[in-house]
Amino acid sequence: MDNLDKLQQKDTLVNPARRRVLGGGLGALALSSVPSVRAGEALIGQANKTANREENILVVLELSGGNDGLNTLVPYGDDAYYQARPKLGIARDELLKVDDHYGFNPGALGLHRLWESGDLAVVHGCGYPDPSYSHFTSMGYWHTGAPHSGEAYGWVGRLADTLAPEARANFLLNVAATQSLAVKAALHVPVVFDDPERFARDAYAHQRNVLEAASTRGATKDANATRQFLHSVARSATSSSAMVQEAWQRYSSSVDYGIAALDLPKVAACIDHGVPARLYYVSFRNNAFDTHVQQGPLHQRLLSYAADAIHGFVRDVQRLGHGSRVTLMVFSEFGRRLAENANGGTDHGSANLMFVAGEGVQGGHYGTPSDLRNLNAEDNLHYTTDFRAVYGSVMDGWLQGASAQRLSTRVLKGEYETLDLFG
Amino acid sequence: MIKLALLAVVVTSADVRADNLLGARANWAEQLEPIEGHAFQKEDLQHLFERAAFGARSEDLTKWASASPQKVVRHFTRVSRRDASPDFEHSGVFDEGLDPFPPSRPATTRLAKSSGQALGIEVKPGGNRPIQPVVNQFFYWLRASRLETDRVSYWWANRMLTTDTPLREKIALFWHGHFATNEDKVRDYRKMLQQVELFQRLGLGEFDVLLVAVAKNPAMLAFLDAGANVKDAPNENFAREIMELFTMGVGHYGESDVREAARAFTGWNFSGLEFVVNPEDQDRSKKTFLGDTGNFDGEEIIDKILQQEATATFLASKLYRYFVRTELSPAFARELGKEFVELDMNVGRFLELLFLSKDFYSPASQGQRIKPPVELVVSTYRKLGLERVPGVPDFNVVTAALGQRLLHPPTVAGWSQGRSWITPSLLFERGNFVLDLVFPDISFVPADRYPSYGANIVSVQKRLRAGESISAATRPSGLGEGESMAASNELADQDEAFNTRYGSYRGWQMALERVIPIPRHTARLTLAREVEAAELQTPADAVDYFVQKFFVVRPAAGDLERIAVFLEEQLGSKDLPASSSFSEEALRSTLHLLLSLPEFQLG
Repeated sequence: MDNLDKLQQKDTLVNPARRRVLGGGLGALALSSVPSVRAGEALIGQANKTANREENILVVLELSGGNDGLNTLVPYGDDAYYQARPKLGIARDELLKVDDHYGFNPGALGLHRLWESGDLAVVHGCGYPDPSYSHFTSMGYWHTGAPHSGEAYGWVGRLADTLAPEARANFLLNVAATQSLAVKAALHVPVVFDDPERFARDAYAHQRNVLEAASTRGATKDANATRQFLHSVARSATSSSAMVQEAWQRYSSSVDYGIAALDLPKVAACIDHGVPARLYYVSFRNNAFDTHVQQGPLHQRLLSYAADAIHGFVRDVQRLGHGSRVTLMVFSEFGRRLAENANGGTDHGSANLMFVAGEGVQGGHYGTPSDLRNLNAEDNLHYTTDFRAVYGSVMDGWLQGASAQRLSTRVLKGEYETLDLFG
Repeated sequence: MIKLALLAVVVTSADVRADNLLGARANWAEQLEPIEGHAFQKEDLQHLFERAAFGARSEDLTKWASASPQKVVRHFTRVSRRDASPDFEHSGVFDEGLDPFPPSRPATTRLAKSSGQALGIEVKPGGNRPIQPVVNQFFYWLRASRLETDRVSYWWANRMLTTDTPLREKIALFWHGHFATNEDKVRDYRKMLQQVELFQRLGLGEFDVLLVAVAKNPAMLAFLDAGANVKDAPNENFAREIMELFTMGVGHYGESDVREAARAFTGWNFSGLEFVVNPEDQDRSKKTFLGDTGNFDGEEIIDKILQQEATATFLASKLYRYFVRTELSPAFARELGKEFVELDMNVGRFLELLFLSKDFYSPASQGQRIKPPVELVVSTYRKLGLERVPGVPDFNVVTAALGQRLLHPPTVAGWSQGRSWITPSLLFERGNFVLDLVFPDISFVPADRYPSYGANIVSVQKRLRAGESISAATRPSGLGEGESMAASNELADQDEAFNTRYGSYRGWQMALERVIPIPRHTARLTLAREVEAAELQTPADAVDYFVQKFFVVRPAAGDLERIAVFLEEQLGSKDLPASSSFSEEALRSTLHLLLSLPEFQLG
């Protein structure tokens, strides 16, 4: 089956709107200045790759600060929403409706577009038992995938160690100013950089041999633990920086990622350049979504940035011919309280939405929405889906290789329900 | 002046001796009894200067060589109330009407529409874009406050570099990371400056005094939305963070304590640079907090928090992890907490206890700390003997690239310390900083003169001057044929009453006029002269001299040999004195190589 047929077959199964969007996308590709040989290669490559989950890639996007899920995908069919949010509730006619009950925040145009093309799964009611309302504690639970435990490693880090126990170089990549706990691994040294152009050792030609030797030889045996750590990072940096820089230099995109691209173009560049990473981790940084005060326009703006970037990324990897092997998962450490506060904002909540986006995703609603009339002791929503079920479903449904034992069982050290996110 | 040559001779056998010393001290870990009476070595002095100050210069080591540990430590911990360092020189960018500054541009223009004025600027009676002057003033203050904040950083960094009381600056830096506020949200350099001065003044004193002062500090109140915490709907942000991040840590209070404390803090607000309580916003009814019930106000809540054992343990451990090492046992953490309480939570006295303890001089505590970026930069300057912080490379650009831009901590939790300072990319940046220092970038563009952030206002200016209309000149560029704008771009140009991008351009221009420029001198190193004065003979001598001067953990012998060979090749000779007229460039290259080694990150 050729690639286009395959896409169209999925179209008819999922959503008629999809055909329109993809048609436009492929047309644009043919008309663009991309050399035809390269476009052809990309399409052939894509057809081969769909058969093999072992080449699939997972990108995780964190929305830090606690994104207000209730004002992201608004349950406009539920009066309880408007009763709890007399000022902050978004009027029905302003929403980008997806059905007779839900509509996206008008800023979340990018998410709405992905929904229309069948590339967006929304998982409702995600949370965990006995939730923490601390940003840092709750984010730590999501990072480790192990609430209320002393887990030292991140879930993405453990996933890398499980997928590649031989510790592959450049297998796990985190675009960030400082490394996220989520990617902390026992075996892998994550590639962490912020600006690809600055991810380089500046030195004159005659200095390079000396620097290279000092960076790659590793620490001496008597070195203390911190010194050994520094040497392992130095070695990793030396092996990855040239590759990342080259990826970024060769990359250019006509796709509009909006005002804040959230580092996703860097991920697209690395994927297209063939960086062997299967796991990428990026975030909307600095607790941005912590909207205690004057939330309305601020949240809409933040959401527009996030949604534009997410939409841009999905379309960009499609343009580059990798759409069928890249999935993006989006989460936040908690949602926000149902009732608005007196400052036109919302305080820390519990259960929240998660998004899984990409061409391989079977778009639609998953999980059970939290009941807005049945709140917990802190006036917050009860969760209905353990977030680890979503992590696990993405691992098993998207990254699982030939191994008999499920990835999720090995990484999460427990069994969770399976959501059939990938059709 | 000191005899540098002499120093070099003294240290030749230092490594061997240090190894023996560390072996004998292996069981000193977690021992708080004083080191007094034990041999206090040059390495110990260096270690103390790394932690209690911003590194030791050779003259510091000479000056304190024969002093008792107690005398040196007290020199750091017992500082007079009088502060000899210079005050900040204001550019004079603040205008009446700017404070209170609305939370956003939409809030500003809404206010202007409803009341006919905002930010001290009236709406024009007619004509096109009547609200434009208000929008210009909005962007003016955003830019001016931010640029002035960069000057506050420079002022502070210069104090760190030149002060006689380095621990005062270092503890202020610690508290800035602990009680983290960010100018991006506070949007007023005056409040940021006021807070830094608070940390400098009270940072080494009793913690209860500091905590109350911080809780009433306008920058903190603004940053945690406390100003919006009112009776009818308390805002929990401030109450939560004061317990979670500033005092007890999670697990020692419940969600109801957060809500009750938030009620007690209602009405706490600020007006300009003053703390005020608005009685009409205060919730005076009963609260139940940490098991007690009463009509508590904010100060009583703080008192209760201060009485918790968890508070003392949390703070003592955090101070310990910052100044000594990141790993400590729970039992030792509790012991530290008890000691802290016994010292009336006096931070200076507690640090004195740590700096004089056997634990501080145990192998586990030495040479294991990754220097935080600001300390890395300032201590490098100190060890180089600089008398002021260079303008090129820009201090704020460098520290931001290394992950610690002053007055801009990433979140309310401040900076993560320890290994979080190092990623593959950040390790490179640390070496690149040294390159920028020894060979200044000739294409350097000062960020306080050229708008390197914000909307693309340079092209807006260009198009305006070419005669385009404001609408045309401010249309986003770079969209391809037939491509739709993303939602966030579509939002930018809607309102006819003003133009946001034009305001951004004009605001920058106004800020540029009024903010005093940062001086752009470079480091002006004279390594050749220094090496000559020290009477060093061979490339290997020079390498060893730099290692003594800059490192507390000696790099591997193989690396040092290779670097000595490099220097010899660059000089074309083994004869250092004979090379002095042309050795400057080679010595700088050598220093760059040395300070790029992983060991230089340790202090």
